[in-house]
Amino acid sequence: MKNQSHAYLTFALGDEKFAINVDHVQEVVEFDQLTKVPNAPSYMLGIINLRGQVLPLLDTKLKLGLPASERTSRSRIMVLDIAGTDDKTIQLGAMVDVAREVVEIADAQIQPAPELDGLQSTAPITGIVNTHGDITMIMDISKVFSVQDIVELNRPIN
Amino acid sequence: MDSNQKRFVEDALDLLNELDEGLLQLEANPHASAPLEQVFRTMHTIKGGANMFGFEKIGELAHQLETLYDLVRQGKMQVSDGLISITLHAFDKVRDLFKEKDAAKINNAEALSDHLKSAIEFLKAAESEMVSTGKTSSAASAVNKDELATFFIRVSPTISLTVDGNHPLVFIVLDLEALGTARTFCYKNEKGDVAHWDIFLSTTTSQAEIESYFLFVENECQVNYTKLFACDLFGSDEFKEYLDQFNAVPVDVKALSAFVETLSAKCKETHGSEAEDEVITSSRKKAHHDTYIKVSKRKIDDLLNWISELIILQAQLTNATSGLNSPAINEVTEQLELITNRLRDTSLEIGLVPIETLVTKFKRLVRDLSKTLNKKVNFLSEGAETEMDKDVIELMADPMIHIIRNAIDHGIETPAERKAAGKSEHGTVKLKAFNTSSYVNIIISDDGKGIHQERVLQKAIEKGLVAADASLTEEEVLNLIFHPGLSTASQLSDVSGRGVGMDVVKQKINDLRGHVSIKSTSDKGTSISIKLPLSRSIIEGLLVRVEDTRYVVPLNVIDRIDRIPYTLLNRENQVNKTVVVNEETLSVFSLRQKFHNEAIVPKTADIISVTVHGIRKGIAVDRIEGKMQTVMKPLGEAYHQQDFIAGSTILGDGSLALVLDPSRLFQLSDN
Repeated sequence: MKNQSHAYLTFALGDEKFAINVDHVQEVVEFDQLTKVPNAPSYMLGIINLRGQVLPLLDTKLKLGLPASERTSRSRIMVLDIAGTDDKTIQLGAMVDVAREVVEIADAQIQPAPELDGLQSTAPITGIVNTHGDITMIMDISKVFSVQDIVELNRPIN
Repeated sequence: MDSNQKRFVEDALDLLNELDEGLLQLEANPHASAPLEQVFRTMHTIKGGANMFGFEKIGELAHQLETLYDLVRQGKMQVSDGLISITLHAFDKVRDLFKEKDAAKINNAEALSDHLKSAIEFLKAAESEMVSTGKTSSAASAVNKDELATFFIRVSPTISLTVDGNHPLVFIVLDLEALGTARTFCYKNEKGDVAHWDIFLSTTTSQAEIESYFLFVENECQVNYTKLFACDLFGSDEFKEYLDQFNAVPVDVKALSAFVETLSAKCKETHGSEAEDEVITSSRKKAHHDTYIKVSKRKIDDLLNWISELIILQAQLTNATSGLNSPAINEVTEQLELITNRLRDTSLEIGLVPIETLVTKFKRLVRDLSKTLNKKVNFLSEGAETEMDKDVIELMADPMIHIIRNAIDHGIETPAERKAAGKSEHGTVKLKAFNTSSYVNIIISDDGKGIHQERVLQKAIEKGLVAADASLTEEEVLNLIFHPGLSTASQLSDVSGRGVGMDVVKQKINDLRGHVSIKSTSDKGTSISIKLPLSRSIIEGLLVRVEDTRYVVPLNVIDRIDRIPYTLLNRENQVNKTVVVNEETLSVFSLRQKFHNEAIVPKTADIISVTVHGIRKGIAVDRIEGKMQTVMKPLGEAYHQQDFIAGSTILGDGSLALVLDPSRLFQLSDN
């Protein structure tokens, strides 16, 4: 088990580097057009049209309780498959500041995550990789965007 | 359950519907051999399948019942109410069992034992009766035979239609054939259209009832009835031989009656043997059936998704190439557009199923209810082949059952009352379905006593729904029955009339973006018309803009549109919740004020007046952009809480518009 490695997609939120298992990632697309849905929490940005498929778009930073950043030409949408209720998966778009590359990370390289301040959800960081002082945090995407979480937190705000 | 068992259960559920249909036909025409054969065959198939896939109990029950119907086939027993009832109830139980997910539960020995017992007892009783009355029940059958009559019916269409066409008349003729023993001759004119049908029919059905089959097509054909003789002429070989000549020569009515005269004497002596002349009939009926395959819903949804992507890509291609001055490319894009549209139309049709499945359910309902209420009710349906979205059919089943229940419980009078009013003892409930453009129309009508408008109004005043001095139009009074909490039946029955009904019916139809209206004439009956969009996903609406977001308001609820200065909605930061439009004060939901930035305001606002739950309200938007028909896509679980958005739709430029659900939108403003 120790020698096994997995493919991860790395991306940036602000100055921090993160990585998620590619199994959850369907594709990465550029930000195009967004339609806001009224009365939704601020991290639920709205809906996007992905080649005829309508997906909800979420702001990963806001969802994690980090301050929002300006949308730039480098902003990307990760199209993710999230396990939902009754074996169904739902697809959503998660906005990140920069999407970098797919890398192989051996399980042995991953160290347990230290206590982190400022990250709201129940420990979405499952480990860290330290490459000569350059730190990448491994994120459990299903903890950041659990379907139940999204459905329940998303109450009308009035 | 393994996959084979699952497949059997699915097939069996279809078979059970066919069986119900056959049993009801048989009950209506106990002497017709086509439905009897169908019932027997279907039961036999169920028995075989059940035994093969390990549902022995069901197999055993089917076997016992099959034995009973075999006796009927051999002429040793009569079709009776009791026989039909125990069969229907037994297979109702089987249907319930099939809903279980666990094979062991389906094969539960206890569940069917009662029905098995009553089937065996019925057989015993029938056998002992046979013994006591001699070897056959010819005495009993002779009594029934007296009601038999042979008709000669000539149907002459006044419009042009072909035998294999889709005109209702073609099916009515087939329906007639199913009423008893029949022989039909179809004569064509030189153009190949039907000149007329000559039908020889021996049946227990009365002439009035036969006439009722033609109610819907009165203007499209002429029907002449001749009652040849009060007995089954098909019993005579001579008659059958005589009929053979009509294959070549048209029927001469005079010669025919002369022949019947001479035959009449003999007929009385020879009505022993029942003729089997129905092979032609049933084989022709089969010809109308297409072949079917079962496809999972998910595959169809996938297909539709890919096709909507194709449509959008195609629109982009047309956009991108419009500047190019290349005839070759233009021709290809045009062709592509044509084919894409056809592909869309065909794929939307795949998800549609005929409403026939509902009709069988309704026939059952009418039968059971009329027995409970001691009323005589005929159920006629027209256009059962009309197709609708499968989901819509499932959602509409309950509302329609409710309407039919009301028609029988409140509409149709008791036989005595009907007789006193100079009507036929049999009441009629009709279901008519047909397509118009992108809608399916369903009309459920009865010939009962109609809705007592004064009583409705009085009740509404009592409950404070309308002012005592209000003057309402007939339509407004009738529409009150859709108001929550109004039931006019002074005595509540356990069938209907709990006052929670018609409002729910209306709500469900509205949810499907449909429309319902009601007409009623005192003593003549009531008719309820339902108009539903062909598919749940196709929506007709107004495209509107608020700031930079576009919304779609479903067209079916919109009454009128007015443009007002924006200051009427917001004067010096004082938000007005009502505006006066067309001399009427309207409570308004402003999308801009509720959902959008107030900083830069437009000069005018458009007020869309909509009627939800019988109350007129307004939706204020910045600008109306136009009318559109489009495919609606659900927003999914993530936006479950924002239920005032019914879904979204992709516009021509690839951007999205939000489809509003007006009734939920106003709930939002009430809270």
